[in-house]
Amino acid sequence: MTGGFAANLLVDLDALVGGLFILSAFFLMAPRQAQGFLKHFVRQSFLLALSALLLGWLHGSVELLLVALITLLAKTLIIPGLLTRTLERELRSRREVELAVSVPASLLVAIVITVLAFVFVAPLLHGVGPTVDINLPIGFAVTLIGVYTLAVRREAVPQMLAVMAIDNGAFFAGIAIASSSAIVELAAGLEGVVVVLVVAILARTIAQHVGSTAVGDLTSLKEGTPS
Amino acid sequence: MTALVYSWDYIRHLARGHPEKERRYYMNLNLFVASLLVVPLLLQPALTWVAVELTTVLSVFLVSFDNTPPALEAAWKYAVITITGATVAVLGIFLLLWGLASAGGSAQTWSALVAAAPHMPAAQLKLAFVLILLGFGTKVGIVPMHTWLPDAHSQAPTPVCALLSGVEVTTILYVIMRLWPVFQGVPGLFATRWLEVVGLVSVGVAAFLLIQVHDFKRLFAFSTVEHMGILLTALGLGPAGDFGTTYQLLTHGLAKSVAFYAAGSVLMATGTRNIASVRGLIRISPVAGVTLLLSGLAVAGAPPFAVFLSELSIFRAAVSVNEVWVLGLLLFFLAVAFLGIMLHINAMVFGQPSHPPSSTPGSLKLAMAVGWIPLVVLGVYLPPPLDHLLVLATHALRR
Repeated sequence: MTGGFAANLLVDLDALVGGLFILSAFFLMAPRQAQGFLKHFVRQSFLLALSALLLGWLHGSVELLLVALITLLAKTLIIPGLLTRTLERELRSRREVELAVSVPASLLVAIVITVLAFVFVAPLLHGVGPTVDINLPIGFAVTLIGVYTLAVRREAVPQMLAVMAIDNGAFFAGIAIASSSAIVELAAGLEGVVVVLVVAILARTIAQHVGSTAVGDLTSLKEGTPS
Repeated sequence: MTALVYSWDYIRHLARGHPEKERRYYMNLNLFVASLLVVPLLLQPALTWVAVELTTVLSVFLVSFDNTPPALEAAWKYAVITITGATVAVLGIFLLLWGLASAGGSAQTWSALVAAAPHMPAAQLKLAFVLILLGFGTKVGIVPMHTWLPDAHSQAPTPVCALLSGVEVTTILYVIMRLWPVFQGVPGLFATRWLEVVGLVSVGVAAFLLIQVHDFKRLFAFSTVEHMGILLTALGLGPAGDFGTTYQLLTHGLAKSVAFYAAGSVLMATGTRNIASVRGLIRISPVAGVTLLLSGLAVAGAPPFAVFLSELSIFRAAVSVNEVWVLGLLLFFLAVAFLGIMLHINAMVFGQPSHPPSSTPGSLKLAMAVGWIPLVVLGVYLPPPLDHLLVLATHALRR
């Protein structure tokens, strides 16, 4: 455990990272190109790793330092690398991706979601430590914003990264409230990589067979359509 | 095991001239089955979540097996919706682990969570419950997050449908059931009412969708949504409904597997999934016709099949705890579902044949024969060892 001035400094830094983390969820709503979405996701994942590092240092927790390392490796290096290799053409194309809801309207919804998330979590925050106060509501808000981002995106790559952003939100809250064994952290990190690999291969197959990764345009399975 | 037997002739037929495709199918199928077996073996909720995610990623390419645009669409929806659900659920698990740590628990196991639950704040348990129910419920197929389920079932090869419907959704429901004793610590009827409402809405919506469905594989998929709704409702009835819940979990798995096997044999005999295009099935393929008719009766809950007895057990539980409105709604929705299923199947089985006669391959017959034995036996006789096993399983649902 770190005490005194250093502890306060680490908490303040975590608060700063938390603020940037929730902003990163807002930024994820804006990009109109897949490449931009990936860059924002990497920045968000870096902030998650940074928060885990600060909390690990603060609490003297080896598991949290391991989370920071795994997040950094998996989400800022391996996953972007896998996506770039698997979906190179889609990521390099400057094609503007379609948004189901305009960016200003989405930002408004995100603000409402953030307020609601803080209201939902408020009863849990009595008498808890400062880092839980920061990470839990922000992680919950980013999870919910991620679900909304997923719902309004119509392209494969942004949808896939929105799922991973939901994962980031859940783990941002998780690192402050739940300590897990190293094996769980390792399994969760590997699982994230496998999920992205499988979904990226599926997206590439869709691009090969359908001609684009605009998954929002795939509507042949609507109820009432005779097979 | 029956899914593997069924696959022998079925996948050879689908992958004609592509042995590589056939090999990939068996590799993916075995990995998928292994992931399903891992879920109930794990003691740690966080690791169970990882295994749940693996069940999805290891079955995505089974759903997209045909690589047609509809199959790819179904696989995409399946992957994205169910992975999102499980990711939301992990936040609920984190909240429970937080409660466990605050209560002084060190081992992160199911039993440690149950022991720590009374010491957790009610607000924390409530939020965790909602996140876990909606998160894992997405993969179970509860309404309104069920949309992936009929799509995946209409496009995946039949043996995969049998595993998705008969084994996968029940395995994920097992995770919710395993956590149920933790949430029984929530003061009042909060958790119970959530289960009953979510369950009844799922049963009701599925029952009415069963009437308007056009695809017979989607018909059985909506029946799965209906059965999952029944199971959640039964769980919400408390200890009185525990035996019915575990019994229904078993009978659903048995009935849904044979129902999809029957649907697959119809598809092989006629080449279409469209209900309106299939008529006089009993003369086109007597095996497919008879098994489809019996499967329809079995999944709809008609006697003498096992689902009838398990549903009867749930009705009796609702009466014993005086939940008359639950019983009334369940009976009404099940009557609608029965009507929906049997109207479609009746139209398909009887009448003038729409296709030339066709024979059912041997491995399909064998898988269906083996699958039908427990379904029929359990409809008239519950062997004491199995009865004892179900009673033991009900203990896991109680505090």
